[in-house]
Amino acid sequence: MNLQYSGEEKIPVSPAAVLAFVNDPGKVGHCFPEVVDVTVQDPTHFESIVKVGVGPVRGTLKLKIELLPDPSLRRIDMKIAGGGFGSAVDLTAGADIVDAGDGTTILKWSGQAVARGPIAAVGGRVLDAQAQKLIAQAFANVRQQLSG
Amino acid sequence: MSIQAKPLHSVGVPMKRKEDPRFIQGKGHYVDDLSFPGMLYLSLVRSTYPHAEIRSIDITEALKVPGVKAVITGKDLEAAGLGWLPTFHGFDKQMVLAIGKVLFQYQEVAAVFAETRAAAVDGAEAVQVDYAPLPVVADPFTSKADKVLLRPDRESKTNRIFHWEVGDKDGAERALASSARRIKQRVWFQRCHPAPLEPCGCVAYFDTMGRLQFHVTSQAPHVYRTALALVTGIAEDKIHVISPDLGGGFGNKVPVYPGYVCAIVGALKIGRPVKWIETRTENLTSTGFARDYHMDVEIGATADGRVTALRVATTADHGAFDAAADPSRYPAGIFGIVTGSYDFPVAYAEVDAFFTNKAPGGIAYRCSFRVTEASYAIERGMDILADELGIDAAELRRKNFIRKDQFPYPSALGFTYDSGDYHKTLDVALERIGYDALLKEQAEKRARGELMGIGLSTFTEVVGAGPSKHFDILGIRMFDSAEIRIHPTGAGIVRTGTKSQGQGHETTWAQIVAEELGLDAGAIMVEEGDTDTAPYGLGTYASRSTPVAGAAITMAARRIREKARKIAAHLLEAGEADVEWTDYRFQVKGVPARSVTMKEVAFAAYTNMAQNEPGLEATYYYDPPNMTYPNGAYVAVVDVDRETGEVKVRRFVAVDDCGTVINPMIVEGQIHGGLTEGFAMAFIQEIQYDAEGNNLSTNFTDYLVPTSLETPHWETAGTVTPSPHHPMGAKGVGESPNVGSPAAFVNAVVDALSPLGVRHIDMPMTRDKVWRAIRDAESTKG
Repeated sequence: MNLQYSGEEKIPVSPAAVLAFVNDPGKVGHCFPEVVDVTVQDPTHFESIVKVGVGPVRGTLKLKIELLPDPSLRRIDMKIAGGGFGSAVDLTAGADIVDAGDGTTILKWSGQAVARGPIAAVGGRVLDAQAQKLIAQAFANVRQQLSG
Repeated sequence: MSIQAKPLHSVGVPMKRKEDPRFIQGKGHYVDDLSFPGMLYLSLVRSTYPHAEIRSIDITEALKVPGVKAVITGKDLEAAGLGWLPTFHGFDKQMVLAIGKVLFQYQEVAAVFAETRAAAVDGAEAVQVDYAPLPVVADPFTSKADKVLLRPDRESKTNRIFHWEVGDKDGAERALASSARRIKQRVWFQRCHPAPLEPCGCVAYFDTMGRLQFHVTSQAPHVYRTALALVTGIAEDKIHVISPDLGGGFGNKVPVYPGYVCAIVGALKIGRPVKWIETRTENLTSTGFARDYHMDVEIGATADGRVTALRVATTADHGAFDAAADPSRYPAGIFGIVTGSYDFPVAYAEVDAFFTNKAPGGIAYRCSFRVTEASYAIERGMDILADELGIDAAELRRKNFIRKDQFPYPSALGFTYDSGDYHKTLDVALERIGYDALLKEQAEKRARGELMGIGLSTFTEVVGAGPSKHFDILGIRMFDSAEIRIHPTGAGIVRTGTKSQGQGHETTWAQIVAEELGLDAGAIMVEEGDTDTAPYGLGTYASRSTPVAGAAITMAARRIREKARKIAAHLLEAGEADVEWTDYRFQVKGVPARSVTMKEVAFAAYTNMAQNEPGLEATYYYDPPNMTYPNGAYVAVVDVDRETGEVKVRRFVAVDDCGTVINPMIVEGQIHGGLTEGFAMAFIQEIQYDAEGNNLSTNFTDYLVPTSLETPHWETAGTVTPSPHHPMGAKGVGESPNVGSPAAFVNAVVDALSPLGVRHIDMPMTRDKVWRAIRDAESTKG
């Protein structure tokens, strides 16, 4: 099942601060909703265990995340691949870090996901909306962390 | 000496099922109830990808999970010569655990053995499989193009599994071309699943003598024993298969599944009993599915509605392996019954089957080898023809039925129908439903813009495989067997090669013995499912038990009766030729007062046998001379809500003719169950895959089973035209309602929507699909 998402967050800090945050695996790794554990391997790779509940399908996903920063373009991309409870998820997500001109930053994000297994089987009903919610929550968490 | 009245519970009596007290009290004994000291649990790692190369399988973390004892992969099995299983018809093989690549989502990839079920599941979760996704082929029409070769392991480098054809191709073409009227329609019988409430499972262990004790959910225990001997190399006498109570089967428990082989390998490798019980999701996603036939139906007719020719071209989706358990001479099963109840002068049918990245299977779900698909195709076709010609659907059928005086009837596609009275059966159905009044009501409602439909299905089935000259599983000819032992007190035991999954054999087999020997059915025990004690048989599926094993029981009982006659003659102090079996007792011809009962003879067989061989028992292996041809006339009445697409099945009358009825209550129960399954397929059931090969129907929230709330009220009746070649005249009935009813439902809904111009709707006819059909038709009409 192929899924596509997009959205934006206005963050009350400078683009440089946002860029530094999203390039730090130790920080961005904890922005995933329902995160159980984050293990940083190197500056661009970390593993995260997250709880997922989509309709009747519930369990934990073990995700491998690779950060693909491009400071010159003020953009961050990431590849997420993993699975759990017989399901698999492949996700590519990216965000443009846009200077709003008033000392704040707009994070314009988008992503594409492919889900397989039981988690995809519920897709027709709730996966799409639930995944959109979770991804939006992840970027909202970025805003919250930086706002604090 | 006593006079014997008709024995209790003999043929034709609605005897309450002997097995039910233990079932309704929760005292059934199922595989998952078994527990042995030291027993381990097996959990299977399954593919998340529909088509992918396996780069690596890392079991390191799984072996660290507390309680995990071992993990095996496809490579381990391949090294042991157990990497592949032959499929039942013998023309393909199936991976036990994936080797090199996976071919469908939820395919078995690795087996984890642990001290507890939870530890086994945790261990399976910890196995790391690195997949490289490959292009997915999710439908047979894409497969046909051969752009992605799914099975490079096969000699033939194509996704086409087989092309099968029967009938007169040129003759059908000529007749269609010259027919005054002609219809053509593609109909799809969707992929569905039998979904027995008890999923598949087993317990395997090697006893102190090194003998494999294999408790398994099997509809065909003897075939399993032979298949396991062939696959594993274990001598067949060292294999003991026991199939205990089964919580439904419907064909789902015929194939040998990878989990069974893994459990046996685990038990051998670790030296402890191993239990494997699949989950609901595993059952729905990896075990034998049903149907997935795309059928192009063409019928030619004269202007006044006499059929002139039939041609059906089918594209079949068999999934990743050709595991449809068809007899080796019939790769498309007995789809040739597609001429149905009609006197087609010429016909031609062809089936092209293809591999796809879906679960393998194809013939389960209460279907005698593709008969359900065939029946659906012809019954839809006849309704479309009636619509095309503007002839009443019942009248068109009457005009084209095989007449009673034409039996035995040689069909255009090679079958010899044994018996039937189709006109009578339809008449009974139409009278019961009040057809004329319904037509009047429908006309009035249509005038008001209301959507009411009447759907007919007048089907003919073909069940009871063998004959052995035509049918086999893995080369084993299809016959069946019975052994009867009558004890000194007149009680007895019957053992057969069949295996009940709810059909009520413990009752009906006892009733046959009661009928043939004049004994009390309540005192006749029935035992099945144990290969150490039951005579060799091919099992229970495809409505074959009564036509084949029922006949074997009858013949074995008659053998006993012949021996008993000698003992009776001794007791009556008469010559054997002067003793006759009449009114359920032996009597001296012309002297009714001088008689003995079978019970008295049984006692004498052990106490006063004179020069006769002691004991009273017999065995019979029955090879049927022909199949039997049950038939029926079904009528559905539906009301469709124009605004929501909701279909209400207002009435459903089912008139079945299954020949001699042994237990009318059990037959009625079989019909109720089958109609409910037919209703489910017609309206709510489909194993759906998305374009990426994801199975979207993995549990009972997505794959629906009707409850009593959704199920319509069934009205049943019957006619009886005995099979002339079955010793009791019986035909088999278990599958008839499942075979006959889907077309009645679809014909009714399409009839309701026909004023809008709707010509066909594929199953399942969900509310949204019906609603869209209404909206599309209305928008087209403007």
